[in-house]
Amino acid sequence: MEQFFTQLTNGLAVGGIYALIALGYTMVYGVLKLINFAHGDLFTIGAYLGLTLLASLGLTGNVGTAGGIFFLVLMVMGLVGVIGILLDRAAYKPLRTSPRLSAVVSALGASIVFSNTIMLVYGPSPRVYPQGLLPTHVFYVFGLPVPIMRIIILATSLVLMIGLYLFIQKTRTGTAIRAAAIDQGAARLMGINVDRVIMLVFFIGPALGGAAGVMVGLHYGQINFTMGWIYGLKAFTAAILGGIGNIPGAMVGGLLLGVIESMGAAYISNAWKDAIAFFVLILILIIRPTGLLGERVAEKI
Amino acid sequence: MKKIVLMLIAATFLFAGPAVSAETIKIGLMCPLTGSWASEGKDMRQIVELLAGQVNEQGGLLGKEVEIVVADDGGDPRTAALAAQRLASRGIVGVIGTYGSSVTEASQNIYAATNTLQIANGSTSVRLTEKGLPYFFRTCPRDDEQGRVAVKSMLEKGYKRIAILHDSTTYAKGLAEEARGLLADEAAEIVFFDALTPGEQDYTTILTQIRRDNPDVVFFTGYYPEAGMLLRQKMEMGLDVPFIGGDANNNPDLVKIAGTRAAEGFRFLSPPVPQDLPSPVAQDFLAAYIEKYGQAPGSIWAVLAGDGFRVLAKAIEETNSTETEAIADYLKNELQAFPGLTGMIDFDQKGDRIGDVYRVYEVDADGNFILQK
Repeated sequence: MEQFFTQLTNGLAVGGIYALIALGYTMVYGVLKLINFAHGDLFTIGAYLGLTLLASLGLTGNVGTAGGIFFLVLMVMGLVGVIGILLDRAAYKPLRTSPRLSAVVSALGASIVFSNTIMLVYGPSPRVYPQGLLPTHVFYVFGLPVPIMRIIILATSLVLMIGLYLFIQKTRTGTAIRAAAIDQGAARLMGINVDRVIMLVFFIGPALGGAAGVMVGLHYGQINFTMGWIYGLKAFTAAILGGIGNIPGAMVGGLLLGVIESMGAAYISNAWKDAIAFFVLILILIIRPTGLLGERVAEKI
Repeated sequence: MKKIVLMLIAATFLFAGPAVSAETIKIGLMCPLTGSWASEGKDMRQIVELLAGQVNEQGGLLGKEVEIVVADDGGDPRTAALAAQRLASRGIVGVIGTYGSSVTEASQNIYAATNTLQIANGSTSVRLTEKGLPYFFRTCPRDDEQGRVAVKSMLEKGYKRIAILHDSTTYAKGLAEEARGLLADEAAEIVFFDALTPGEQDYTTILTQIRRDNPDVVFFTGYYPEAGMLLRQKMEMGLDVPFIGGDANNNPDLVKIAGTRAAEGFRFLSPPVPQDLPSPVAQDFLAAYIEKYGQAPGSIWAVLAGDGFRVLAKAIEETNSTETEAIADYLKNELQAFPGLTGMIDFDQKGDRIGDVYRVYEVDADGNFILQK
């Protein structure tokens, strides 16, 4: 029982990060029907920018640890969001009217450009966040140890996800995004500036990915220029699992994938962890081709 | 003036060239002077040239001067094949080198076809000496040697419940299975044997399982980035089990990733770093090397090239011959407990070095790697 509970918290912490990244995939897909394969690298950029800002601005020294980290995450989100908009301008906007496959190829190219740029700027060996910034308390829930960082990561992810959900559901801009996702032409006829909506989507998605990058850096310490690939792949899987294009779906998919992975590893085999996760994905897609919460049939990319 | 210089150069080629070569004993050195291992190759060259200079000061070998003929293998199998052909046609007694296993492998058959003796220094791949080539030797240990030393060191510490963790790469899995095979005959139990996925950030799932299985020690055969993450997360979880790692952990980045507090007490296997070589021979050599080049050699592999030169010189002297057959026979059958720079050197019939080259290192409170006696 203790084993089960600990593995559940392990899975939820990783799943929270998957979910944050998955939101970026799912938002872009929802509006443009495009899988932004460079999203994992935007996540990596977030992690590296966080390291640079942390080291160069001395944030935590000026406004205390908690405040410093809060500002750090905000700044990284802003910067990565801007990079996301630039990415759209450079790699996707010229291909808006081209066949969808061209944009996918362009996305893969952008991914390669990003990861190699990071390597050239920061070097190929792993980089390390300064240590001792974060609290290392361990909570005891029913006598079982839960490190406080686990809770903070999960809570931050949940707050960001719920905030996004409310933004999409309750605000005018959110309604415009949903409208553009359903039918761009009709949205345009209703007076919605679809280009602005796309820009906004390319800001919010990468910003959330960047936040996940900083959280990974702060919590796990070590970052490297290839880590976006694995996280990106897992988050993409999570988005599909929950139903791509669907925001609550990405959250559920991310958390579920994290838990499936850790349970599969714990009770079946570590070496087969990824295989188990993908097997579950296939099973779910056979039973529900639109993913768990997907409403419409996902179109081919 | 120009003409005179040209004539002098021509004269050197015409007369001095052949005259000198008849008077010298040529020993080849194949090393990576370019490419990603260039720093290793530079050290190899400096070491072998330093040792050859010392031999020449004492009158050379068989009354002749020793001449080192260097060829660059670029750390690349194709370049190595060309370098080997060039060296083999230069009338050398034997060749020392090289560093990478795949590079050595590309040159092996060329030397074998020309009956040239080869003493590799950094090529640890098991299969190099399993081909039955009569004139191939190496001064470095084989990959399977490491498993033996790991098992020995764990048993000496009295560990009974052993967890083995690898990362599914050929090297790490091979080492893990080697250790498992050796432990099967011992009074120890393997309570955990599994692989992690390299490149991930979160290994708490696997650490939670290790906690459940409650081993006395965890043998991790993978590379330093994962080892660093494991150590760090192990500390964060409050899991108190000693870790021991393979030689892919001999990298200071390990401590950076784990943090000094989490890395303290981590042990790993590695051939000794040059500064830790114990014998007086090695100390004299290091002093001479530092005096000439200003700093100690970077790794043990280059020093092993020096040992290659020293056993070859010893064999030429003892057999009073430069015949490949006689030298190889001497190295395999007569050379015993030769005091090398890296410890005692013996060769078995395959040309592998016998004896423990691997040492155990432990990370201290400041993150330094300390050799365990």
